[in-house]
Amino acid sequence: MRLWHKIVLAVLVAYGVLCAAAYEVMRQTPERFGLIMEHVPDLAFIVLPFKPLWFRARAGTLNVGDPAPDFSLPTQDNKGVVQLASFRSARPVVLVFGSYT
Amino acid sequence: MVYIEEAHPIDAWQDDDNIKAKIFLHSTRTRKERCDVAGTCLVKLGIEYPAVVDDIANTTERAYTAWPDRLYVIDRDGRIAYKSKPGPFGFHTEDVAHALERLLPDSQPSAKPSPSVTRVEPAIPSTPGKAL
Repeated sequence: MRLWHKIVLAVLVAYGVLCAAAYEVMRQTPERFGLIMEHVPDLAFIVLPFKPLWFRARAGTLNVGDPAPDFSLPTQDNKGVVQLASFRSARPVVLVFGSYT
Repeated sequence: MVYIEEAHPIDAWQDDDNIKAKIFLHSTRTRKERCDVAGTCLVKLGIEYPAVVDDIANTTERAYTAWPDRLYVIDRDGRIAYKSKPGPFGFHTEDVAHALERLLPDSQPSAKPSPSVTRVEPAIPSTPGKAL
């Protein structure tokens, strides 16, 4: 194998390994993911296909048509508890998951 | 809104936008801390629809793979009618409006999102759905 073939192959292998590592990091818990990403250089976001890896790693197990996992959570002002199932047959519900940061 | 664990706490992975906005928050370790931060979020971002707070074990977030942010529409039968791709890249409020229009075809067309709509606030149309 010619030298430049070997170099190209090595680069491709290294790129594949980096993508696999990034994918595995994205599947970690948010806390662990954040602690790792704190030390990842910004260059990684340019070199690696971050978005498609992220979409696949964070896809989750729920699909359209599946029963929505029920929950019963307190309101932010602690004045009550809301159960998702209580809205059944009444009207659709939009769930906006997020945080301040 | 279902308030979940922080996306960019300073004890994990701080975000440049938060630094510019002088938002420095630790990960919340107690329910009270999370409720307090959620309250600040609701006020600062002008969120007027009801908000619940996930437990510190992040049970609901894990069930919905919701971190850092995500949108779902649940139909009247309790089934998932729309599931966004994971945020921030997949957080598109206009898709929520389209999903609601499919579920409520006799309602008025969706309003355009206001310029003040942020990533955590969906463009809820004037249809009788419920935002949480």
